[in-house]
Amino acid sequence: MDTPFKGEHLLPGQLGQFFIVLSFGSALLSAISYYYATTNKQDTSWRRLGRMGYLINTASVIGIGVCLFYIILNHLFEYYYAWQHSSVDLPVYYIISSFWDGQEGSFWLWTFWQGVLGSILIWRAKSWENPVMTVVALSQTLLASMLIGVNIFGERIGTSPFILLREAINLKETVPIFASNAEYYHNYLTYIRDGNGMNPLLQNYWMVIHPPTLFLGFASMVIPFAYAIAGLWQKRYKEWVQPAISYALFAVMVLGTGIIMGSFWAYESLTFGGFWAWDPVENASIIPWLILVGALHVMIIFKNTGHSYITATILVLISFVLVLYASFLTRSGILGETSVHAFTDLGMKWHLIIDVLVFLVLAIIILAIRWKELPASKKDEETYSREFWMFVGAIFLALSCFHLVVVTSIPVWNAMFGTKLAPPTDPVKHYNIIQASFAVVVTLLTGVTQFMKYKKTDVSRFFITSAVYLLLAAAITALVVYLTGVYKLQFVFILIMLGATYSILANGKIFVDAVKGQTKLAGSAVSHIGFGLIMVGALISAGTSKVISENTTGEQYSADFVAAKNDPRENIMMYKNTPVQMGKYTVTYVGDSISSPNHYFKVDYKVVDKDGKVTEHFMLKPNAQANPKMGLVSSPDTKHYLLSDLYTHVNMSNAITYNESAQSEDGSGHDEADDDKNYEAPVAYQVAVGDTIPLREGYAILSGIEKLDSLPKIPLNANDVAIGAKLQVVADKNTYNAEPYYLIRNKNAFDFSKTVDDAGLKFRFSKVVPDKKDVSKTKIEIMVYQKPASARKWIVMRAIQFPYINFLWSGTIIMIIGILLSIFRRNKELKTT
Amino acid sequence: MKKSSIFGLVVIAIAIAVILSIYSDSSTYGSFADAQNTTSELHVVGHLDKEKALDYDATKDANYFSFYMKDNKGQECKVIFTGTKPQDFERSEQIVLTGQMRGDEFHASNILMKCPSKYTQDKVEVKEFKANQAAI
Repeated sequence: MDTPFKGEHLLPGQLGQFFIVLSFGSALLSAISYYYATTNKQDTSWRRLGRMGYLINTASVIGIGVCLFYIILNHLFEYYYAWQHSSVDLPVYYIISSFWDGQEGSFWLWTFWQGVLGSILIWRAKSWENPVMTVVALSQTLLASMLIGVNIFGERIGTSPFILLREAINLKETVPIFASNAEYYHNYLTYIRDGNGMNPLLQNYWMVIHPPTLFLGFASMVIPFAYAIAGLWQKRYKEWVQPAISYALFAVMVLGTGIIMGSFWAYESLTFGGFWAWDPVENASIIPWLILVGALHVMIIFKNTGHSYITATILVLISFVLVLYASFLTRSGILGETSVHAFTDLGMKWHLIIDVLVFLVLAIIILAIRWKELPASKKDEETYSREFWMFVGAIFLALSCFHLVVVTSIPVWNAMFGTKLAPPTDPVKHYNIIQASFAVVVTLLTGVTQFMKYKKTDVSRFFITSAVYLLLAAAITALVVYLTGVYKLQFVFILIMLGATYSILANGKIFVDAVKGQTKLAGSAVSHIGFGLIMVGALISAGTSKVISENTTGEQYSADFVAAKNDPRENIMMYKNTPVQMGKYTVTYVGDSISSPNHYFKVDYKVVDKDGKVTEHFMLKPNAQANPKMGLVSSPDTKHYLLSDLYTHVNMSNAITYNESAQSEDGSGHDEADDDKNYEAPVAYQVAVGDTIPLREGYAILSGIEKLDSLPKIPLNANDVAIGAKLQVVADKNTYNAEPYYLIRNKNAFDFSKTVDDAGLKFRFSKVVPDKKDVSKTKIEIMVYQKPASARKWIVMRAIQFPYINFLWSGTIIMIIGILLSIFRRNKELKTT
Repeated sequence: MKKSSIFGLVVIAIAIAVILSIYSDSSTYGSFADAQNTTSELHVVGHLDKEKALDYDATKDANYFSFYMKDNKGQECKVIFTGTKPQDFERSEQIVLTGQMRGDEFHASNILMKCPSKYTQDKVEVKEFKANQAAI
């Protein structure tokens, strides 16, 4: 391997690897220094060393990012990461998302955010800095070790994004010609022109922003944990809660946003037909969120009443351990057969397990040592007090989290105990019912507790107001359930509707009070309203979504299909230009448009009333990518109404071929002669400006001839003459512009064709026919190539209607605003106390 | 008894109920032979028999797809799935079916397939570079 290879750029990788090692070393230094700074309070030099270490760490993490980004942006495919996750034709914004397409990149995101957050703590944490930063720097050390990628005692520790392609893959084995010919091997890079590219499903704008948000959420969960540890360690049992509340709120807000962004991405670009599928990877992100929401509420109880200290501490400690556990689940490959989305194992399983264990053991040990000193509440909470029912709600959140952990971890139990348990056969139904039961209790409690006060509540007044609101909620629920058809679902879902409505009403009242200035609880009221709306939206849209692409004709079924009495006939086949009735819509597959690498199917929707008048008319363009490396991947297109969505995706079609994306690219190294074979024999037309050329499905007009000063991709010399023929093409009622051109260089003529892929046309500007007497009568020759009228095109499509899904999205935004308000309020409290 | 202890007991009871419900809902991995002996749904892991024909013709029935799969014990069985053919099915290396036997056909309600190549395709594609200027 020591022979130099031609064309490699080793510097950015070496620099990056240097930064990785530096980030690991400086994080370790920082953790150790902060530890001694905490134990030796007099000696401030330890703290200085700790700070320095941490800032160097953050700087070198940024350095890693810059190097990696440089590599991907410049398509340095000698690096495995760039080769594996990006390709030349990716637009810049997707290059950003290919950055965190792989495990290494997402670890980098995590360590980057943790670096930023740690630096903020150095600036803001004051007396908490030393102990809190000890924990954060320890976590940063472990994260850095995930990227280090060095061999120690024959074991690879971590996985570096700067591994070279020739180190990751044995090129001589995979490409026999490299083994036989040293010269070829020496020049191997000239043969690797392009990377693997990114999974087309990830080529979505949400993938640019969803991972950074999610990882900011995960990273910020270390802070409440670090405060809890610091509080126990420094015996400042009661003090740590208050500053930690703001950070916990922040983590809840950001992680919640990240999760919903993920589900919005799934809804917009995946084809499983919904926004949430209880996939283990989704569960892994919501598990820590649920437990932290519970922890947050118990922390608030403790702050206000002094009760439930131990529960608050334990929940906060568990929340971070669960973040690490979730990353173990999704990154170790253990989910294997149960998840489509999980990463495959990069040989880091034990590394990830150690990461979980380090923090779990740390938490258990410190709790055990301090157990007897912990401030336990001697008195029981009052039954009619807010703290008691808030506590109950938090415990139910923890229970719902417990359920998710146990089911999602089924492969882990199998690995530990050698069992052969499989996940539930209908996981969505299983999760929906059990989680719904918890949600009923939680939503009801978010309402009821609003009518109680801390410590002691006036009982009779409480019963009257809460009962009045409950009746009101029941009336509204009955109406909504009847109108939307939710009553057809299981009873527990109707109860959620009741709980959510009740919560919205009760918190609405508090919000009104807050606006009047009677209470400071605006933040919590708004976020609870948002949460209630999320429940309502999720329930109605998922529960009453309707597949409208049902095949009602019965014509197409094969005999044994009917015999089997299978009912989900959710896919419908449509021939091009043959309308099909779907619910109230008249739907027609009218054509395709190709914008490399996407193939859009144009599906025309019309609503026609009784008199034959078109009352509504729109076009959806679900797309598919025939990616030669990753296969056929389709994404939906959705028509958004205020109160419902219409969601359409194509499952199969004979209109899409694997090599079309290669064809539509502008002359990128494929043979012109090969391409001509796809067309019928060309016909030449001699035309002047303004003349019309007849086409099979339309016509083309030569609208002008112009002299060109520059040509794409070809530099012009001073003596070159380039002429373009401006063609206006009308085919299938669509208008396109095409400009083939003609170049005279050194007395030789060259011509460059233009294709209109949509209409299956190609034009060549093949000749200039000068008219010596009258220059204005000069004609040009255009060769017209038309694709053969192939077999009729068809698509197989599925369309689903999602009613009231906007409640879900707007609820999310409201919840985020509510949490933001709470953060402001808590920060204000911190300043005044 | 203190209220917190009562509440603790309730929580434990719910936790046990959750575990029981998971246990009763969870299924097992099995083979086609196991499927023949039970009426409940189960998971069968295996791989596609690429020598036998896949039957999917959207122009006939867009919701009918059948194929032959060999389970991990080597037994082969015809599988019927009511839906469109999953994209790239031919390239799958491993298939996990959820469903049950009806007669001697396995009716799958869900197909999960693993194409390891989809995410980590460690196959270097060598393309010879052809100069763009060929046309000039």
